[in-house]
Amino acid sequence: MGIKTTLGLAALTLAIGFGAPQASAGTSIDFYFPVPVQGALAREMGEIVKTFNESHPDVVVNAAFTGSYDDTRLKAQAAFEAGKPPAVALVSANNVPDFVIADQIESIDGLLAAHHQDPKTFMDDFWPALRANATSDGTLYAIPFQNSTPILYINVNEFKEAGLDPDHPPATWTEFVAAAEKLTKRDGEKVTQYGFEMPGIYDYLGWITQTFAMSNGGLFFNPINPGEVYYDQPSTQGAVQFLGDLVAKHKVMPPGVVDPSQVSTDFFAGRAAMVMLSTGALTFIREGAKFPYKVAFVPRQRRNAAPIGGGSMVVFKTLTPEAREAAWTFVSYMTSAATLGRWSRATGYFSPRKSSYDMPEMKSFIDQHPDALVALNQLEYAQPWLATYNVVAVRKALEDQMQAVLSGKQNAADAVRLAQKNANEIMKPYQEKLAQPGAM
Amino acid sequence: MRIRLRIGAVVLGALAAAVALLWATPFLWMLVASLRADSFGSLDMASLLPPRSPSFANFRAAWDAGDFPVYYLNTLIVVLGTLSVQLVTISLAGYAFARLRFWGRDVLFYLFLLQLMIVPPVLILPNLKTVIALGIDNRLLGVMAPYFASAFGTFLMRQTFRSLPRDFEDAAEIDGASLLQRLRYVLLPLARPALAAFAIVSVVAHWNEFLWPLIVINSPGERTLTLGLASVLGGAEGAAQWGLIAAATLLVSAPLLAAFLAFQRQFVDSFVFSGIK
Amino acid sequence: MTAEIFDADTRKVAPRLGARIAVRRLRPLALMAPSLVALGLFTYWPVLSVAIDSLYARRLGARASVFVGLDNYVRLLRDDKFAAALINNLIYLAATVVPSLILALAFALLLRRSTAFNRALRALLFFPTVVPLIAAAALWTFLFLPTIGLIDYYLGSFLPVSVNWIGDERTALAAISFVTVWKNAGYYMLFYLAALQAMPHELIEAAILDGAGPWQRLRHVILPLLAPTTSFVAVIAFIQAITTVDHVIVMTRGGPGDSTTLLLYYVFTTATEVHDIGKAAAATVLTLALLLLVSGAGIRVFERRGGDAN
Repeated sequence: MGIKTTLGLAALTLAIGFGAPQASAGTSIDFYFPVPVQGALAREMGEIVKTFNESHPDVVVNAAFTGSYDDTRLKAQAAFEAGKPPAVALVSANNVPDFVIADQIESIDGLLAAHHQDPKTFMDDFWPALRANATSDGTLYAIPFQNSTPILYINVNEFKEAGLDPDHPPATWTEFVAAAEKLTKRDGEKVTQYGFEMPGIYDYLGWITQTFAMSNGGLFFNPINPGEVYYDQPSTQGAVQFLGDLVAKHKVMPPGVVDPSQVSTDFFAGRAAMVMLSTGALTFIREGAKFPYKVAFVPRQRRNAAPIGGGSMVVFKTLTPEAREAAWTFVSYMTSAATLGRWSRATGYFSPRKSSYDMPEMKSFIDQHPDALVALNQLEYAQPWLATYNVVAVRKALEDQMQAVLSGKQNAADAVRLAQKNANEIMKPYQEKLAQPGAM
Repeated sequence: MRIRLRIGAVVLGALAAAVALLWATPFLWMLVASLRADSFGSLDMASLLPPRSPSFANFRAAWDAGDFPVYYLNTLIVVLGTLSVQLVTISLAGYAFARLRFWGRDVLFYLFLLQLMIVPPVLILPNLKTVIALGIDNRLLGVMAPYFASAFGTFLMRQTFRSLPRDFEDAAEIDGASLLQRLRYVLLPLARPALAAFAIVSVVAHWNEFLWPLIVINSPGERTLTLGLASVLGGAEGAAQWGLIAAATLLVSAPLLAAFLAFQRQFVDSFVFSGIK
Repeated sequence: MTAEIFDADTRKVAPRLGARIAVRRLRPLALMAPSLVALGLFTYWPVLSVAIDSLYARRLGARASVFVGLDNYVRLLRDDKFAAALINNLIYLAATVVPSLILALAFALLLRRSTAFNRALRALLFFPTVVPLIAAAALWTFLFLPTIGLIDYYLGSFLPVSVNWIGDERTALAAISFVTVWKNAGYYMLFYLAALQAMPHELIEAAILDGAGPWQRLRHVILPLLAPTTSFVAVIAFIQAITTVDHVIVMTRGGPGDSTTLLLYYVFTTATEVHDIGKAAAATVLTLALLLLVSGAGIRVFERRGGDAN
């Protein structure tokens, strides 16, 4: 490269590097979102946003796919700390306490009141199980957008082969273990068909562990106070033991951390007769399974219980008044019964609004897809999702131990004890504040 | 004796070939899987056999999943921008080390040497603060800035200049050329091979960078290829479509692989050059 | 010598001798200035800054940090995760540097003649170096998947049990190490190739005349002559092993459990997930110390060996 070219390029780069302004007609706002499956759903979200942009000429929404829930949260918070937050983000439903404690999101109640809507009745149209995760200290801070619970998918053919009745899938832990044992096939030492598989990666594993802990009658965490978790309670320990036994004692589940892609692929290939995945994977499973399958409630021990999962819309603070207006217009559109219904049908998530299910498209959809109905029915037993101060680290405190249990390197009692100790350490700053009311 | 040597050589050659082919297996899979359309839940996703009816569906899906034109542009800006500034700084500093005697030269030399170890990824925390303070966070310039000085490049130029005979410079100076003119018209042209070597090492290093850009960049519009790939990889409730991932990986790696195949000798020479201190 | 006296530049700029000398003194500074500014801002100031930051902590809800002395370090050393990160990194150092060097040397010896065939093989071995680590991580994540991944697909029938390479605590660190070795061995091979090609043939021929077989030649002639290269490559590999965690971020996220958490990854998560900046800064300081210690030791060995070889 000639000297002149080099210097010119250097100068040009500095110039480009410094400024990247965007021309805008109408208020331009950024929207960060994750999606469950790459490719198709990111495009679907783009379509929905495009529909909004076309019907609302005074607002321009720049939708950006920001990876996983964790990545989205990271990016949004980093942007906020740098003084340039997105206007709206679709965040994990259990991130609300973190955002509220960090004072980064607007109160939805406030926005509702400013637009002459009644905060007290706004959530009536939403499923009751969703309310705890969307509020903090009684105030609404997020609007649910996509929700799910864990659910059991079963391979009908393999059930029949094993002499089990696919119309009566295992409902209790005992039945579940018995079924899984019948459904596990071996060829010498190697397993050719596992009775049960579930994802063991971060976030998924914590969710499923919570499911079993709650099914064992436990509270798992304090939904009102984001500084208390109940890892070292017998109910949680029992769940950890149960899952560990599936691997080590009954040998119906593969050891170690199983990737969700492996779970779904093994299910499709007939190498896993029962899998536990999110209802959010329903569409994916429906499209990929080339055999009859059914969905069933998570098996109960002391009660039927399943934590919700999914994402909610939040609006960030420090926006200009125009941007906040634009954000509210966008969020209202996205959380309308029609849009939520459309997204639900595309993904397999259920719509957080009851009224979506009164609409004709949804009714015919449910008629055609009875598996979506089962997912909906489990909502009756849905519980709030683990949501604490520093939830990712607190969640990982248990997940790290759980992963060790699944690899056969840790026993249940030590696992929950260590998990509790580490979680308390992480939540200490918040707990200290609670313990000293004067300081609040 | 000769036959034994022959057989020995053939066996070793076969062994080497086998190892090299095994070594390249991931790339072979990347190529094959990206062209294989229906990888949904198929047990044969790992097959290295080429698909009977190759399709570009995965590439289209990968292209949609991210914003690849933007990623390519941003990566080019980062790579060429960093290189341009580096060429200036290393030539000037390299000349100073090579030709001038000044107070504190040895101390400065060791200070430069330290930068070879204290690489930007270790200093992500304080560098992020600096970059925010300078107002270049979430900008490509913030990604480039920590690399504007290059100890490796400076040493390379120092070595190169030292090895050039002084006659040309002296002649130019007698003709009335200033220092900058001597540098520009005499020394740098003679140092072209070293500059090219450095360019290759720098381009590859910054094309492939991940951690520092990850920390600096938040807006999807400023992402480079590596960040784009990471975002495609991280689906929220994880039902990975491996064909799509293979295609995305290929989109990110292909330019460098192609450049390498085309300029193999230069690539290899540059990287070896980087070892000559 | 003559250059300094016949300097047309300074005579134009500063007619008086005193000023001319001053300009001449400033010249090196002017040339070094751009580099020094960048180095100062992004290498030296950050080291100081992070050391200072490690002495401060931010209480919940407060906007400003308070001075806490060595409290962050105390908390750091009490943190199981940090201990795990340190141990893992030391294991990872050994598990990447040693195999990389051995493979690099083996490849260089096997392919040292520059036939077209050898050059093609060298290219294949060098491919991994050319692509981003995270692309490599994406590919290897698939290859490592149990049942459906490539390794199990082709070798599954030969292995007694299906290993969940990156999902099992016992094998995850080994898997990560392997990816690093795969990525870098081809690069280090180049250095050995250059050294082998520069090796004086007389010594080897003398050894052959003395009746030394190939193994003896390797041990007593070639390896000692390669000692400077080995030390040099080892230093590079050490630095790599401490400063590169792209694959951990994408493949295992430090898990399962803590088995693949490395020091830099610990810094990354402490800063971005737990938001404990003071602790992350303390961890950075300790990581820097380890880095300087390890590379400093390596360089000293290199310089000594380099002297011996002559």
